[in-house]
Amino acid sequence: MTASTPPTIGLPRALLYYRYGPLWRSFFRTLGVKTVVSSPTSRKTLDQGSALAADETCLSVKIFLGHVQELVGSCDYILIPRISNFGRGRSMCVRFEGLYDVTRNLFRGSGQKFISYNVDLLQNQEEAPAFLALGQSLGFAPKEVKKAYTDAKKREQQVWKARLKAQEPLYRDKSLKILVAGHGYILDDPYVGKVITDFLRQSGVTPIRADLVDRAAALKASPKLSPTCKWEFSRELVGSIALHREQVSGIILLSAFPCGPDAMVNELLLRRLKGIPVLNLVLDGQSGTAGVETRLESFVDIIRFKEGSLS
Amino acid sequence: MKNAYLGIDVGSISTKGVILDEDNQLLSSSYIWTEGDPIGAVKRLLHLLEADFPKETYTVMGTGVTGSARKLVGAITGATIVKNEITAHAVGTTTFYPDVRTILEIGGQDSKIILVENGVAVDYAMNTLCAAGTGAFLSSQAKRLGMEVEEIGDYALRSQHPTPIAARCTVFAESDLVHKIQMGHPREDIIAGVCRAVVANYLNNVGKGKKILSPVVFQGGVSKNAGVVAAFEDALGCKVLVDPNGHLMGALGAAILARRSRVRKTFDFAIEDLEFHTREAACGRCPNNCEIICVYQGDRLIDAWGNRCEQGAVSPD
Repeated sequence: MTASTPPTIGLPRALLYYRYGPLWRSFFRTLGVKTVVSSPTSRKTLDQGSALAADETCLSVKIFLGHVQELVGSCDYILIPRISNFGRGRSMCVRFEGLYDVTRNLFRGSGQKFISYNVDLLQNQEEAPAFLALGQSLGFAPKEVKKAYTDAKKREQQVWKARLKAQEPLYRDKSLKILVAGHGYILDDPYVGKVITDFLRQSGVTPIRADLVDRAAALKASPKLSPTCKWEFSRELVGSIALHREQVSGIILLSAFPCGPDAMVNELLLRRLKGIPVLNLVLDGQSGTAGVETRLESFVDIIRFKEGSLS
Repeated sequence: MKNAYLGIDVGSISTKGVILDEDNQLLSSSYIWTEGDPIGAVKRLLHLLEADFPKETYTVMGTGVTGSARKLVGAITGATIVKNEITAHAVGTTTFYPDVRTILEIGGQDSKIILVENGVAVDYAMNTLCAAGTGAFLSSQAKRLGMEVEEIGDYALRSQHPTPIAARCTVFAESDLVHKIQMGHPREDIIAGVCRAVVANYLNNVGKGKKILSPVVFQGGVSKNAGVVAAFEDALGCKVLVDPNGHLMGALGAAILARRSRVRKTFDFAIEDLEFHTREAACGRCPNNCEIICVYQGDRLIDAWGNRCEQGAVSPD
């Protein structure tokens, strides 16, 4: 492959896409590489992913595999990074470490090619050189790749800051505010998390996302609730709860079954968070929303009882 | 004519109904098995409620529906309020026990804990993905031991040495129980062990991390089991109150919510003679392929739900 005939890169609309989508898309756009993104999650995505995944795989990875399935054959490469950690006490769930290799192996008979980049700060593998290697492997000159990466980082920051700014005013909203603490890839997914936030809005509640937070401040605040938590995404959520708990009337811990880090961290939070109503909501692949609605409706009722706005 | 309020609680296992006057006095009540047919159960229930109801003096002016089949039953009864079972239980219990601090509730497939401060519910938890330690578990274990589920409570009280039964998971509990039976443990000890397992499971799952303060009120179908009540008192070290109408608490709460809601609509018992049925349709308009439930009265569509988006919206005639 040469730079004159750039390949097409497939981006599965799941997991890290919701975090790195702006970075990836901008990086490839600057290089003149076309990207295709799988369509938003539907029942079909989950069904296809579930058929591929091992039994004990979490809902989010099942959905991811469904997205990969959709992209197979429609692009030259599918991008799946290997992200292990961002330094000491800043680990990723092992699912993210193994995702490229597990997925490639699952699709080994399909003829589909995959590309990756490695981030592992404990092994001195940082993001910038990883992107340089990724761009070079696609046939681009180091200078071009470095520029594309620098521009993409700027774009990533812009998009992120705009999202934070858009959420800011919600903390001052006069309605009942509930902090929803779940991974971005759950809350951003229209088939999974959106059902929850939509239901809350219909009930007259303002859902505020804990993951949309100044990440550096959240990492710094996380030891207030857990001094030893070592998962990056969990620490962001834990820190965000520590920063915002006084500004909301209740907290929903939203998790997709079976999430390893959440199984530990949310248990701990249930014990540590005193004096504020907390709902531990675990989503699985069930198509019915009745159990979820019952739990959300009663949680909102309880807060309204407490605040005297429901008799 | 005086006003009365109907409350219906349709659970997975049992269907409960009450009619209250303005002062929360019980005019009529009934408790029957759902038997997997919520529509049929509600018709039978209304028939029973109507029999004791003083029609000459009262008119039902509001209908509250709760329980896992609340949507379906709300549609066919034309309910004035449809509420989740936790709110209904909290409202019912705090009305009759204003001092209550903790409400324990174990039903057929659900279990809940509600914490109350100054007569107001402030926190709750519900069983998550697993129905371990609920009424359904007790029923199946009673059957295995060749007994009726109603008998096992008093039988458990005879035991001096309850057999320890693994409580973490219903599947493990069941295999442990079979093993203990085959090892020759006396039946009353095993039954008492099962009651304790239900309590241990409840406290470890639903009650985990919650501060259980007295007065404690225990309700739901399983509260009728004296063995489980004794096991709770033992584990919590305090008295556990069981209201004689505890099994009706969801329905009582629904009736009270109907009275408070101010929406008024005369209820007609004639619906017990109407024909209702449901149909499931796969939407097919997008890859979500939602399962849409359509409820018909005779040939007339009266309600539908289950669609995730507008494309699957079905409007009643």
